[in-house]
Amino acid sequence: MSEHTITVTVNGVPMTRQVPARRTLADFLRIDCALTGTHLGCEHGVCGACTVVIDGNAVRSCLMFAVQADGVEVRTVEGVAAPDGTLSPVQRLLREEHGLQCGFCTPGFVMTLTALAERTPPASEEEMRNALSGHICRCTGYQGILRAVRRLARGAQAEG
Amino acid sequence: MKPPPFDYVRARSIDEVLDVLARHGDEARVIAGGQSLVPMMALRLSRPAVLVDLNGVSGLAGIAPHGGALRVGAMTRQVQVLADPQVERLLPGLARATSLVGHHQTRNRGTIGGSIALADPAAENPAFALALDAGIELQSSRGARTLPATGFFSSAYVTEIASDEIVAAIHYPLWGAGTTIAVDEIMRRRGDFALVGMVAALHRDGAGVIDKAGIAWFGLTSEPTRAGELERALVGRRADGLDAAELAQVAMAGIEPREDAQASAAYRRTAGINLAARVLHAALTGAQSR
Amino acid sequence: MTAIRGEGARFMGQRVLRREDLRLLTGQGQFVDDIVLPGMLHATFVRSTVARARIAGIDIQAARALPGVHAIFTAADLSRHVKAQPYMHSNAPGAAQVLHLPLADQDVRFVGDPVVLVIATDRYIAEDAAELVVVDYEPEDPVVDFLTARDAPPVHAEIGTNVGLEFATPDDPGLEKAFAGAAHVITETFSQQRHACVPMETRGVVASWSAGEMTVHLSTQIAHMARRYIGLAVGLGDHQLRVIARDVGGGFGLKAHVDREEIGVIAAAKLLKVPVKWIEDRVEHLTVAGHARQETVTCRMGFDAQGRIVAAHFDHKDDVGSFPLVSPGGIGMMAAMYFTGPYRVPRYGFRAASYFTNTAGRCAYRGPWMTESLIRESMMEIAARQMGMDPFELRRRNVITAAEQPFTTPTGLTFYAVTPAESMEQALKMLDLDAFRAMQAQARAEGRLVGLGASVYIEPSSAGSNPQGVGPSDVAEIRIEPDGRVNVQMSAGTGGNSIETTMAQLIADELGVDMEQVSVRFGDTAHAGFGAGSGGSRQAEFGGSAAKLAAAQMRAKVLKIAGHLLELDPGELEMVDGEIRSTAGANKWISLGELAGIAYLDVLRLPAGMEAGLETRARYHRGHLQNHSNATHLCVCEIDRRTGQVRILRWLVSEDCGVMINPMIVEGQVAGGVVQGIGGVLYEHAAYDEDGNPIATSFKDYLMPLALDVPEIEFGHLVTPGDAPNGAKGIGEGGAIVAPAALLNAVADALAPLGVRVNTLPLSPSRILDLIASAGP
Repeated sequence: MSEHTITVTVNGVPMTRQVPARRTLADFLRIDCALTGTHLGCEHGVCGACTVVIDGNAVRSCLMFAVQADGVEVRTVEGVAAPDGTLSPVQRLLREEHGLQCGFCTPGFVMTLTALAERTPPASEEEMRNALSGHICRCTGYQGILRAVRRLARGAQAEG
Repeated sequence: MKPPPFDYVRARSIDEVLDVLARHGDEARVIAGGQSLVPMMALRLSRPAVLVDLNGVSGLAGIAPHGGALRVGAMTRQVQVLADPQVERLLPGLARATSLVGHHQTRNRGTIGGSIALADPAAENPAFALALDAGIELQSSRGARTLPATGFFSSAYVTEIASDEIVAAIHYPLWGAGTTIAVDEIMRRRGDFALVGMVAALHRDGAGVIDKAGIAWFGLTSEPTRAGELERALVGRRADGLDAAELAQVAMAGIEPREDAQASAAYRRTAGINLAARVLHAALTGAQSR
Repeated sequence: MTAIRGEGARFMGQRVLRREDLRLLTGQGQFVDDIVLPGMLHATFVRSTVARARIAGIDIQAARALPGVHAIFTAADLSRHVKAQPYMHSNAPGAAQVLHLPLADQDVRFVGDPVVLVIATDRYIAEDAAELVVVDYEPEDPVVDFLTARDAPPVHAEIGTNVGLEFATPDDPGLEKAFAGAAHVITETFSQQRHACVPMETRGVVASWSAGEMTVHLSTQIAHMARRYIGLAVGLGDHQLRVIARDVGGGFGLKAHVDREEIGVIAAAKLLKVPVKWIEDRVEHLTVAGHARQETVTCRMGFDAQGRIVAAHFDHKDDVGSFPLVSPGGIGMMAAMYFTGPYRVPRYGFRAASYFTNTAGRCAYRGPWMTESLIRESMMEIAARQMGMDPFELRRRNVITAAEQPFTTPTGLTFYAVTPAESMEQALKMLDLDAFRAMQAQARAEGRLVGLGASVYIEPSSAGSNPQGVGPSDVAEIRIEPDGRVNVQMSAGTGGNSIETTMAQLIADELGVDMEQVSVRFGDTAHAGFGAGSGGSRQAEFGGSAAKLAAAQMRAKVLKIAGHLLELDPGELEMVDGEIRSTAGANKWISLGELAGIAYLDVLRLPAGMEAGLETRARYHRGHLQNHSNATHLCVCEIDRRTGQVRILRWLVSEDCGVMINPMIVEGQVAGGVVQGIGGVLYEHAAYDEDGNPIATSFKDYLMPLALDVPEIEFGHLVTPGDAPNGAKGIGEGGAIVAPAALLNAVADALAPLGVRVNTLPLSPSRILDLIASAGP
């Protein structure tokens, strides 16, 4: 199996590592970068827990090999709040609306909504709601997540 | 659930890709968006010895009119199709079909060429290509060739792509003014593969007579299937006044639906006819369900 | 300073935002897979590919030779280091015992049965090696259908039968006489399909053995109970074992068990003296982690001419698979015990039977006994249709009222402080029944299929608090540290149920401090005494009451010290805003920090004879079996005739869980349960083919509700306190218990004009179109 030296910019920090070809981006983040906020819920691209943002788009990090991310910018759930710990609007609204319970799926929801909310122009509520179908939450019945999306979309439009 | 070992090649040019394929044959596979291939590898159901990455190859993505068709490069991501103004203007049905593929997150990475090459029988894009009889442009170190979609999809997940070939582009014929294309499907949940789906493309001449019809089922049988009898029945007739519910019965004629854990054959027949009535109505009235 | 009197509770009953969220939203949670220890190895299992076979041979040579492989265990290597264990919970009297060892020895009994344990430097290599292990199977005909398993070759030869338990109440001539005299007798058989629990974090363990001590990071709801079970299995005392569960990514009952894989990995770590990690992958999870709810119930109910129930009989059969995690019969017995629910049923009998099959074992899944509500509430609506009576009127004629409480059921349960009648009326008011009926009539006139379904139920709070259950008590240990900050250690557990927040709310109020001054820790056997943890809807009542009692003790001690220091009567003091102040107007106060400093560091200033420090603990258990919450759910749905798809238009909940610590969290628990219930009725099916092969082993095939499939849930609350010190009654499982009947009934009501019977789940589009077709044109 081929080994590759790659540099991935994760949350603004260049990470240069040697990885085997088959290492997934998710495992690279968790193992090689020790960023364990990205969670593996299914490893076959359905549950959405491992979602990260690459070049502004939400993608499944279990469906990319780390070597494919050589030279790209990856944003993970660790890179969403302000450096002083202040929650981003997505994080804050998920908290205010009780959009998480066990929190295992949460990083994926945060990343998808972050990408959509920070897009120019920001995504509509319908786009955000549709994008939620790429995530599974087993705890909340999605009630708080949908409420957070409603507020997020309206707030984003008001600001945009 | 970790993939088996492989050698990875990040190709920079089409020639490099074709060279690797020519040398390794069946042992090598190309990876485009990877949204279907990587899960298969994680499940160890697909185990290429060499994985050739198309993501670094320039010239494989892009959408442009080309000789009466819309040429969509194989590495064009599904999300790009959804946002493309030329698709919106010239072939909005393609955006409609693509919007039903997977989820937002997988469309951000998944490609049009990948969907075509995978040939999932329940997928939207192969059926869309089939309905329009799009040209599938293939390249290998031996040269290029373009196959009509009608001869391209052999069976479930099997196509006419040779082991040293890649899909380079899809050429969707533009039927011009008077064209309506409707696409819809029944899925258990949003983003799931279709239990049954249909693409219906119609073209009317200046007198309102249908002179071209391309209708394809997906999810209904073990491969995307043209509803040939219905197409023949439609051509030469005036669109207004046709009964979509009757036509839907014709669309199902001679088809043996498949059965799986999600739906029975009887379900696919009944719901498929109901769906077809809706899709055909939309195509006949020009109301593209979007 | 000016003394400001606190006005009642600051935090209790408030929608306080969760403190857990701050780490979970920022990627700083700590789940089992986040644990990395020096030298840690990774485990995976070679699993049976056939449902039933003799193992003729196992060849590990090639796997052993793979670079990076450290150890390979078969049953021959591992079993002698493990003591086989029976079910962790609820051994129903008379049930057949299946002893669990980590690896299959001579026989494999279901697809996924672990055969070989592979340990390597990383998970990728472990899986490479697992592929190289060759197991020679001699397949035999599997037992797949539990309804015919009774007469099939035994899954466990040593048990000699596939009957796990067959129990029946004694023949009761009075019961038959009551049926014979009934004006209406309804009989129906219902079938429910196999579900999987599917927490988003799969099972996982990191075990490390060091100098006679074993530390186990485990994804568990019940750290203390897990320690006890692990200790029995691998031969360690409770003093040598520490089980830690920080964040747990959902449990839903599954993680109230320790299964064969975890024991195998812990035993291997002890033998290898190296930390070993095993994280279940999703295919493993759907294939082998506990399954649930494959059940068939035949129910008979008799009514008099006025619609009063005169007799009922409940005949429950379930599939417990090959290695159940709960005792055969345990779930059926409990369902039967609760079947009569919120209604007066003068004559009642039941049967409960469990059968082994060559499939994954049954586990507890959120409200395991939920068929009692599913069947009873379906029967009530079937009966109402048959009698031509409004289903709510039928319920009104049978439901237990406040005046009848305490009410004793035919199975000897005692209900008090329950409000099933009131909750139904509240839910109907929220719905506006008349407006709904008008809308439904209009829809039916247009040929649309619109239905309303209801479900009324009573939920045992801490169902497992009996001596055979999850465990009898929970403990809270409170320390006010020398700086006045509050550290709380609890035996509680989590699966996402927010108790870091709710317990802090209770304690902060009792001690008159800000919540930020209180830290609550649990899920670590080194930190608190033994307790049952999370399971059976017990945290609010058990954890909450222990916390409240311990905080009250602390308050008493603090006030006593303060009285001594301030030369005031403790009865004239209050704890507010981190201070102890006079309530009688005297301008005297002391900060909690100063008082705590004295308690630890200046101990001669304490009252004579008082123990130094500020440490209290309280353990809560009940003197009686159960408290009960209750709720009514209403569901309005529309069925698309063309596709057979069900769209839920409204979902209304009126619930009474006594005193709510935090209504936001109560609603969150209920909503999560409702959507799991929706999943079970419409989507989820852990199906097997006739050869015993599981066919829903990925998320492409095991379908759960997504965000766009759920209605917005509307809530109404009633508050009737229970007798626990904090007045709380459990609600955690309730949504998943009560929701399925409401949805099933709504579908049945929508299809009622067609005259079809709806008695088989799941209600997939395929099944619904079959039902519509069966009605004819």
